[in-house]
Amino acid sequence: MLISSVILILQETLEAVMVISILLAISYGQRRKITWLAWGLGVGTLLAYLYASHMSEISEWFDYVGQEVVNAFLQISISLVIIAYAWTLFKGPLANAQNQRAETHWGSGVGAFLAAGIVALAIAREGAEAVLYLGGYVQQSNFQSVMTGSFIGFSIGISVGILLLYGLLGLPDRWHLCAPVILLALIAGNMLSQATLQLTQADWISSTRPLWDTSAWLAENSVTGQLLYALIGYEATPSIIQIVSYIAGAALVMVFAALGKHNRPPIQDGFGQPVSDD
Amino acid sequence: MTINMNHTITGRFHVLLGLVAALHSLTAFAATPIIEVEIKDHLFHPAEIVIPPNTKVKLLITNLDPTPEEFESYELNREKIINGNSKTVVFVGPLPPGEYPFFGEFHPKTAQGKVLVLSE
Repeated sequence: MLISSVILILQETLEAVMVISILLAISYGQRRKITWLAWGLGVGTLLAYLYASHMSEISEWFDYVGQEVVNAFLQISISLVIIAYAWTLFKGPLANAQNQRAETHWGSGVGAFLAAGIVALAIAREGAEAVLYLGGYVQQSNFQSVMTGSFIGFSIGISVGILLLYGLLGLPDRWHLCAPVILLALIAGNMLSQATLQLTQADWISSTRPLWDTSAWLAENSVTGQLLYALIGYEATPSIIQIVSYIAGAALVMVFAALGKHNRPPIQDGFGQPVSDD
Repeated sequence: MTINMNHTITGRFHVLLGLVAALHSLTAFAATPIIEVEIKDHLFHPAEIVIPPNTKVKLLITNLDPTPEEFESYELNREKIINGNSKTVVFVGPLPPGEYPFFGEFHPKTAQGKVLVLSE
């Protein structure tokens, strides 16, 4: 029981943890406040609890596919908010040694709001699953071992997040912003792709044959497969619409980041400038 | 001229007939086969679901346990929570012949099953 709890909670934790690490890396890199994290965690936990406690009614919506529709809505929302976030990211002067008060700029206020939104949406879906999973064991005799396993899984998830954060912060200066944005683009693509999968499961999008099958080469339920699933949305048997939506989501993030950068007021070229004492 | 017009009218009538036929086959196609699956004591009943190839089916899953379960399959690309004492629908297929394992993610030790797509 213990090991399956470790795996399940780790899976549910990884996605949100990675998003948070990437956003933290951006905030630290730009010397911005991280109050958005508290808001994101708080609102996300509340949404997860609400979703879990209304799961029965929600599941019955739209002729028993309410769960898929709500999940797809959450995933599409994450993609859209990431796109908006990428756009605000490069707008306005970046914070660095010479310009430490970047958080007063309009872009960072909107950016913080959007970052909180991304975290809240990321926690809502996976959190609801964790709440239902743990809730199902409350009355059971093995609740303690489930809780222990869940705690271990959660801790591993957090550790992966910390590793990712320090990995990103340790990158050369010119990659400080680029690398997180590329990872965010992959997450946005992944979320859009997952949304199409949910709508296919609901039969709102017709099902097509997988374009390829790499399960013999890298199984989705292997450790590497799971990590790659959380990080870049690895899928062994994706359909054409999943691939198209993945590329579209990722491309939109990059395009909007570039647009924001292009429209930045010409105060200074902060991009690529060294951040003094990191 | 008259003959020509008649031809056009007959042509249109044929198109209309074709449309009606197409609509009829669409409604026939819409009748997706329903397969009932139960979850009891963290086990799937039946644990083996046989479906025809290249056909979309609707799995009507009833969870008779008081605790929630998650129907999950990497091979089918499906994942759905079924609350305790409630039912849900999961669409599967159309699929080529083969074996597609699924499991209950909340009780993976016991809740195991597979969809068997057998060629006719």
